[in-house]
Amino acid sequence: MSGSAATLSGVRAERKQVATTRPVRRRLGPGKPIRFGALIGPVLLLVIWSIGSAAGWLDPRILSAPWTVVTTTGELIADGRLQSNLLTSTQRAFLGLGLGILLGTVLALLSGLSRIGEAVLDGPIQIKRAIPSLALLPLLILWLGIGETMKVTTITLGVFVPIYIHTHNGLRTIDSRYVELAQTVGLSRWTFIRKVVLPGALPGFLLGLRFAVTGAWLSLVVVEQINSTSGIGYMMELARTYGQTDIIIVGLVLYGVLGLLSDGAVRLIQRKALSWRRTLAD
Amino acid sequence: MLKNKLAVLAGAAAAISLLAGCGGDAEAGGGGPKLALDAALPTTVPDGVKIVVGDPATQKALELSGQIDKVSKFVQFANLSGGPQTTEAFRAKALDLGSVAEIPSIHATWTGLKVKNVAAKYRQDALNHPVYQLGIAPGVQVKTLEDLRGKKIAYSPGQAQGALILKVLQKAGLTKEDVKLVELPSTGDVYPTALAAKQVEVAPIGGVAIKRYLTKYGKDGGTTIQHGIRDDAGHLYTQTSSLEDSGKAAAIRAYVAAWAVAQVWIDTHPKEWIEGYYVKDQGLTAADGQWLVDNAGHPDISADWSEGIKRQQETIDLLAKETKNDPIKAEDLFDLRFQTVATDAIKAAAK
Repeated sequence: MSGSAATLSGVRAERKQVATTRPVRRRLGPGKPIRFGALIGPVLLLVIWSIGSAAGWLDPRILSAPWTVVTTTGELIADGRLQSNLLTSTQRAFLGLGLGILLGTVLALLSGLSRIGEAVLDGPIQIKRAIPSLALLPLLILWLGIGETMKVTTITLGVFVPIYIHTHNGLRTIDSRYVELAQTVGLSRWTFIRKVVLPGALPGFLLGLRFAVTGAWLSLVVVEQINSTSGIGYMMELARTYGQTDIIIVGLVLYGVLGLLSDGAVRLIQRKALSWRRTLAD
Repeated sequence: MLKNKLAVLAGAAAAISLLAGCGGDAEAGGGGPKLALDAALPTTVPDGVKIVVGDPATQKALELSGQIDKVSKFVQFANLSGGPQTTEAFRAKALDLGSVAEIPSIHATWTGLKVKNVAAKYRQDALNHPVYQLGIAPGVQVKTLEDLRGKKIAYSPGQAQGALILKVLQKAGLTKEDVKLVELPSTGDVYPTALAAKQVEVAPIGGVAIKRYLTKYGKDGGTTIQHGIRDDAGHLYTQTSSLEDSGKAAAIRAYVAAWAVAQVWIDTHPKEWIEGYYVKDQGLTAADGQWLVDNAGHPDISADWSEGIKRQQETIDLLAKETKNDPIKAEDLFDLRFQTVATDAIKAAAK
């Protein structure tokens, strides 16, 4: 106890000192957001990669130089290969993402709002979460064949789990005061879901969405190795067969950029949708 | 409360139907009555019959030569190749015909899948036009097959590369105990990479990987040597169940005929083939394509399969011994009704 009292008085003393030396009160949060701050890390990474390649520390047989990636990207775009593969992959990813969001949200509501739902659904979903999609693939091929259904289902299975987990968690951590209030004012079940549950679970859902959007892209590299003639995963696998390391790295960079953009898009939605929240992030 | 339960049930049902509902989308429709495996092959493909074929290179050759219309009515192509992938697709009932080398039909049989080879293609002057060479890791001294003693060798049981290593050891007078076999499936660029990283000292590498390995790691001392063993067998194989469907059997027969003409077209149109397939479709350079064409030599499609069957029997005997499987008769793996289909088609096309 005396220790914490000492720190407390220390803080007080410091605050007093700050107040005397500077008129602005010192903030305990991370401070003001930096303009384009999100770009600093990736750009730094790019700089290190460029310097490493230029100085010859990175063997081009192991990691191609950034400018090789740029010229290869240019060639792939001139061929039309990059665009058409990206288009197919995007369609697959969005279809899987859409279905996964729907499935994850519905299951999270069913399991979050009823004890029977939880008893029936939560266990199997936790089991699914522990099983890697890659290991499930041979079975999915047996059940669904080698066509688009199998591919989209694999993406959906990868997407619905984070949506479910985070939405369910968000929903279950809604303050019971709001539930009691809803009961007191006599809300119907549907209005309760609309006015209390959905907004309350929204932060969780959006966090789940951040995992889901990148997850959807990641699944592509696995599913597009089977009976595909297009897609980024196919392009990379073909390059692997022929030992074209530079094309593989173009694919990896593309994944990185797509992931960063998708995540940025969700965070933008997050900021708009949760504008009522006052948090450390603001 | 009841409403609640219903909602849960509906949700669960939706989830299950999403998981299992739309099964077997690539399963093509058969047609016609059951056909005995020794009955004469039907020659006309009934309307509505579809077979799924995993033979991407021939598909491209048919497109480039303008012959695709001959098969497009009854063939649906799948972009599958290689033993493990096609056998998996056979099991999923998603494929009727696959294009592979010598080993897959043997391994499929050993794993309880009934398959038959319906077409056979070899290479002229096969010893000088091998599919594979033995890649030697930088800094490792292997000049002859005898030098393999004590070396770490990449071994992929169930793939052509695995069988080749067993044959190489036999030829060198070595046993599995004289070397260190490292089990490593050969997909993508796994073998050249394992060599470059010196995880293995010897690995069979094929196609453009040979050229790329030597270009990239030759300056570090990476080399390749010839193994001097025939590794040129290429087969179209099918599930026996597809042959027992008279409609599909007719379609397979027609496909084999078109396949044969396409192989000849590839051989006689190297420029178009390099440009259309290797460069445009596979994303290689024209030089890579030329290298591949030069190294493949010319195809050898014969109306007499007896030599090929004899060689396959030797492979089976060796594999059976080394992998502890029951010996099978190579002749049973071939559907001899198809023996002259390819050569007849080539003759008819030449007229």
